[in-house]
Amino acid sequence: MSCANVMKRDRTAVINPLVTCQPMGAMYAVAGIRRGLPLVHGSQGCSTFVRYSFSRHFREPSEIAVTSLHEDAAVFGGRKNLISGIGNLASRFKPSVIGAISTCSSEIIGDDMEGFIKIAQEELKQKMGEVEAGKIKIVPISTPSFVETHFKGYDNAIKALVNNLAEDPTDSNGKINIIPGIVNPGDIREIKHILSLMGVEGIVLTDISDPFDSPLRPSVTETKPFYPKGGTAVEEISDSSNSLGTISLCGYAGSGAETLEKKYNVPAAVGPIPIGVHNTDNFIRNLKKFTDLEIPDSILDERGLLIDSMADLSSRYLFGRKVAIFGDPAISAGIARFVCELGMIPSVVCTGVENPEFVSEMETVAKESDEPVDVMIGSDLRALEVLLEEDPVELMIGHSDGRLFAKQLDIPLIRVGYPVYDRVGYHRIPIVGYNGSVNLIDRITNTVFEKYYDKEHWKLQQ
Amino acid sequence: MQNKNSNRQQDQEKENQSMFSDDLPNIEILKESKMSIKVPEIPEEIIKTLKSRKKHMCVKKDGTNSIPSCNEVSVPGMVTQRSCVYGGARVVLMPITDAIHLVHGPLGCASCTWDIRGTRSSGSELYRNGFSTDLQEKDIVFGGEKKLLETIIELNQIFEPAAIFVYATCVVGLIGDDLKSVCSEAGKITGSRVIPVQSEGFRSVNKSLGHQLACDALLEYLIGTEPPQNKGNVKRNEVKDHQDIDHSLNILGEFNVAGDFWAIKPLLKNIGVSIQAVVTGDSTVEEIAQANLAKLNLVQCQKSSRYLADAMEELYNIPQIRVNFFGVEETSTSLRAIAKFFKDPQMIETVEKIIKSETERVEESITPYRQHLSGKTVAVYVGGNKAWSLIRAFEELGMKVLLTGTQNGLPEDYQRIKETVRDGTLVVDDANAMELARLLDKYKPDLLVSGAKEKYLSLKMGVAFCDFNHDRISAFAGFKGFLNFAREVDRAVSSPVWNLSPKIKAPTKTDIFTARSIEKKPKEEVTEIVQGSE
Repeated sequence: MSCANVMKRDRTAVINPLVTCQPMGAMYAVAGIRRGLPLVHGSQGCSTFVRYSFSRHFREPSEIAVTSLHEDAAVFGGRKNLISGIGNLASRFKPSVIGAISTCSSEIIGDDMEGFIKIAQEELKQKMGEVEAGKIKIVPISTPSFVETHFKGYDNAIKALVNNLAEDPTDSNGKINIIPGIVNPGDIREIKHILSLMGVEGIVLTDISDPFDSPLRPSVTETKPFYPKGGTAVEEISDSSNSLGTISLCGYAGSGAETLEKKYNVPAAVGPIPIGVHNTDNFIRNLKKFTDLEIPDSILDERGLLIDSMADLSSRYLFGRKVAIFGDPAISAGIARFVCELGMIPSVVCTGVENPEFVSEMETVAKESDEPVDVMIGSDLRALEVLLEEDPVELMIGHSDGRLFAKQLDIPLIRVGYPVYDRVGYHRIPIVGYNGSVNLIDRITNTVFEKYYDKEHWKLQQ
Repeated sequence: MQNKNSNRQQDQEKENQSMFSDDLPNIEILKESKMSIKVPEIPEEIIKTLKSRKKHMCVKKDGTNSIPSCNEVSVPGMVTQRSCVYGGARVVLMPITDAIHLVHGPLGCASCTWDIRGTRSSGSELYRNGFSTDLQEKDIVFGGEKKLLETIIELNQIFEPAAIFVYATCVVGLIGDDLKSVCSEAGKITGSRVIPVQSEGFRSVNKSLGHQLACDALLEYLIGTEPPQNKGNVKRNEVKDHQDIDHSLNILGEFNVAGDFWAIKPLLKNIGVSIQAVVTGDSTVEEIAQANLAKLNLVQCQKSSRYLADAMEELYNIPQIRVNFFGVEETSTSLRAIAKFFKDPQMIETVEKIIKSETERVEESITPYRQHLSGKTVAVYVGGNKAWSLIRAFEELGMKVLLTGTQNGLPEDYQRIKETVRDGTLVVDDANAMELARLLDKYKPDLLVSGAKEKYLSLKMGVAFCDFNHDRISAFAGFKGFLNFAREVDRAVSSPVWNLSPKIKAPTKTDIFTARSIEKKPKEEVTEIVQGSE
């Protein structure tokens, strides 16, 4: 048992940021809706640079519209841009949902997005007729860029979607709502796999697994406009009020679940992300609690496979090794707990957010660790670099932005989370669930082999 | 449900038919002869789009204006391929290697843009870090000036940079922070160069303004200035002898993406010119500060740097010539122009020698690529000068440019395009994602040359793609670069992958088995795969 040593960034400047601003999280959330389009109410760069970022990580198209705010709007407000933007988007793209996402500019100008959307909806009704216009849902999502981070933006977006699209409950649909957080397509697919083993259907709020990993089949792909396969249907979001429960995988993404609980009595469970044995057990227990279903043998087998590889690998190669973990607060806390289960030491866990959920998760982890854990909040990569220069570790686990100083400090970097742009396929390989944890332990152990073992030495199992 | 599907299928077939018949321009390409390419008949309506967008597309035809409407507001609600003014400014300045590039605004503007440009450095790596003032709600209310000053002082202490460029973002313009006075105060306190860049994102719909504002910052605060006193130990470029002074030049608008400048550098050295400064690829602050000493400005990216060249001509009497190092013909022309400018008989002779030997070398290696690529068609859709500077290079590979365009061209850019492209080439301005999809669908180029945002859309439509933007990994400039270019284009177009997936429109199944014969792999293998997957 040990303690968490919480440290805040001790300078004004942010150097090599670990987080970005709110709208990015909202764009990610809306992209997971079937025929859903994010409409960013801001400057063109607000959408363009996020599109670059998504394309770099997922290696997929990413269609995000923008209202192209410019100088006039700063003076007269963005009313015209938003209303005509919605009109153009509706008539040209025929989306099912337009997520109207605010930015720093539109928030400071003080645009009344909800009011403008009502006017736009009236105009659409006149132009397209009531029925057609009714098919296009427009959801205002407030994401001021100067408050918190993209994780908050994601949370705000899911909350706005549920608030606007979930309908009054009718009969139970026997399903489970899953709010995945900002994770990879492979992770969502793994969660769906677990649900199918349990024998329960899920509503993923929202499901980017197909939109951000879609097949190249020009004959069945909608290209004019481009709509990828998959995503959560609007009807499913409407139906989320009839579900047995909502599980939010990430601590920062609880508002949607809480909304469904307060408004429609759908019980909620928020975090921790199912990485490692304890956290995944917790997830499965929640599933059992909400559905009243027995846990099938197949799931217990998968758990057994994880324990099996832990038993094999941890004591021989991993035990006692010091690790630095950085990036996404939920994923970092999950991995920190998992490395403790492997007998490793999470010496430093560093994230760009300051949210209390993360700190409390890290306190749990610290209790399970033999040595104290440095928990860096509101931090950046430079701070981590400086700390590791003084007090090096044997492994780093985090995203690609850490690659430069990892190389400089000669510490191997195991890539997880978002963004990973200097390796391929990582968005497809899950790190959640028992199976995902097996992938993670393999990835960690192989990296340890590469760095710390003489692979050529003998042919026997090392 | 089934009914719906079959309806859709019918629609699809109908569309297929129309795509393949009268709708499709009849493009006949005569191999090996650049000038006698038969002009495809382009229907009057280029593609289906909004009324207001139609005038942004035209077909180059002799005797007509052939310049699309441009530099206009993007239609709100479109998936524009454009960026913001800050984006334009950072593209120009961020390659300066030994400077800190501090973004004054909410965190996102820095987070999404640090280290995303493949400009290489032979020295400092400082420019690759992301710096932000991370404006928070209370800064929005009370102003961010104090925080900015603190940040500059702090960063100067940690890194001792040669300069700190401070970029304004949308928020700064809205809350009214006085960037200039903070920078000037910070300059006094730190004794360092602190340079404001007034690049509020929403200032224009066109990031070209950002290019211009970046050039303004260089002109006002850097070029022709002495280093700050406390940095007296900063090494200045020492000019060795008179020969060097007389033959010194700057390269403007060369950003050393993937090491392009390094491909040009030895050529220039061999012909006997010395490079004073590159603006801004692989450059240092003090090199640029002395750019006013050069005798000539070469302008590579005319889109971003024409303005700077004009200003330097006016301020420092430095004449300019436009150069283009993409392709054999363009590189040769550029080298000749440089020699001609310096009126040095020895240089003229050397240039001819180099051109002769390099051209022969390229010719030797280029044949296999040309065999693969001859007659293939290309669409170019980029942000800058590549919309015209690449055209000849493609023609040298025997390819035909069907379409070219930019996201933020100005009338003078389209004038250059008009001067460069053949009759019958489509010219488009600010095409959004859907228009781009329609253009690819209708004109079916064998290759799209564009940036990262367009890449995956293009692949999903079955159109091969070649990155000519920040993300590319090999240098394309100069004679050697042209071979890299040929290799990359060949890799993209000739990849066997395109035998496995039908391009753009799905032919019926029989088409996959018959019409699209597989050249490199045994047929059975492919049919098996198709049966397995479809």
